[in-house]
Amino acid sequence: MIAVDLSIATTITAGVATLAIFSFLIKENPFYRLFEHIFIGIAAGLGIIQGLRYFLWPQILRPMLGYDILTFPDGTVSKPYDGAVLLYLIPMIFGLLYYFIYSQRHAWLAKLVIGFSLGASAGLAFKGFFAEMLPQLASSFKPLIVLENDQIVWWSSISNCIFIFTLLAVMYYFFFSIKADSAVEKKFSSSGRWLMMVCFGSFFGSTVMARLALLVERLQFLLVDWFNTLVSVV
Amino acid sequence: MKSSFNLDRRIIYAFVVIALAWPLINKYTVRPARMKSAEKLFEVVESTKPTPGQFAFVAFDFGPSTAAENAGQARVVVEHLMRRRIPVVLFTQYLLADPFLKSIPEKIISNLETEMPGQKWIYGKDWVNLGYRPGAGILIQSISKSKNLAETFLVDAYSTPLKDLPLFRRPTQLKNISLLTQFTGLVGLFDSYVQFFQTADYRPNFGHGCTSITIPEAYIYLDSGQLQGLLEGIAGAAWYSKLLSDKYPVRKPDEAILINTGLGIAHLLLIGLIILGNISGIISRRNS
Repeated sequence: MIAVDLSIATTITAGVATLAIFSFLIKENPFYRLFEHIFIGIAAGLGIIQGLRYFLWPQILRPMLGYDILTFPDGTVSKPYDGAVLLYLIPMIFGLLYYFIYSQRHAWLAKLVIGFSLGASAGLAFKGFFAEMLPQLASSFKPLIVLENDQIVWWSSISNCIFIFTLLAVMYYFFFSIKADSAVEKKFSSSGRWLMMVCFGSFFGSTVMARLALLVERLQFLLVDWFNTLVSVV
Repeated sequence: MKSSFNLDRRIIYAFVVIALAWPLINKYTVRPARMKSAEKLFEVVESTKPTPGQFAFVAFDFGPSTAAENAGQARVVVEHLMRRRIPVVLFTQYLLADPFLKSIPEKIISNLETEMPGQKWIYGKDWVNLGYRPGAGILIQSISKSKNLAETFLVDAYSTPLKDLPLFRRPTQLKNISLLTQFTGLVGLFDSYVQFFQTADYRPNFGHGCTSITIPEAYIYLDSGQLQGLLEGIAGAAWYSKLLSDKYPVRKPDEAILINTGLGIAHLLLIGLIILGNISGIISRRNS
């Protein structure tokens, strides 16, 4: 019964919160401000609690303290304590050194952590760059005339030509080493700019679409879940 | 310069809300537009055979802020995998996705068991929830290098040791993952899979569900062959849902097509308003 009531209360509160945030569309008001502050507070607190609840406690602290070992009535245990989990202490202590950033005398200890993080991130980024970009570079080399059974596939050929022209024009636009003096060079460079404008337009269009998708999900919640819950309560 | 046709922004908001809400209230749907990228993903799932010891790795890296698009995509793909009896291992790198890892598969299983009485989808055998795992690129690398995923992850989201679950009783590694699907609006998280979810000699098929904002970026990976299928926003989910309904006619329609219809009407309204605004601007300029 309590679980059912809690679910009703959750749905009603979520609906009120949604309307409060949407009320900003009419004008700035205290109702909106109140829920905005509640949201910011929850977002900050939730991250810490979820991190503790779903990661730090079950995966690190629980095995370290041996709380994941069951003791049966006959005295036997579900598994022996694995001392290797204590190795987690090393990165934990090393990570805690970061807090020495607040000490003027020992701030160099925090630099060890920062240096380690920077080095690891740089290494990962370097490896990731090649894994991500090389297939894209290779796929940029497209045939301008696509043949299938000795026949030209016109659509694919035209598509590849547009792709190659766009790629070269946009790259040329950002090529600042040589001044584009001739009319052909200027036109080529300016076509690169125009093609980028088309790209930005598609970005903007898809952004509008995404925002509307967010709104429609909230409307669905208000019109179906929230409204039905309100009706059931009333 | 004052426009000759000055419309209060609140009236525009009201029009947009009506356009989006009208199909939801009347349950009015139109056929979604064909999405070839979604068809590719559908075909990849269709061509994935339910082989013992193999499973699909599904990452829900989205929270409430993009659930409107990503949850719809996740629903149709997980449903398809479950219909094909391909075991699903769910996972997230995004804290706020955690509730979806439970609610989405449970809802799908409930619908499937109602549709097919007598059939069951059992936790531990047909699906597993690994829960939230932080670590981004480092974690993805550890999955790729793992000799036994049960030892890498140790426990599921409910603290059950993975080696006690039928799906992980035998050692599993990257080669046991026949398909990777990931749903997110966060490009950084998506990149970590593109970069590290592979070994020198194996890379599972990769399907991705992105939000509308990130379509132009995600499309690059489809073109380069790093993705085998892509769901573009809710429109991709709607077309995937239509393909599922065509293949399984008794299937209960989901909400992706309904939401997509509302979006289509709202887009038409916006295009109309943009044209109207431009005409109004031209007239004002001429008058001045």
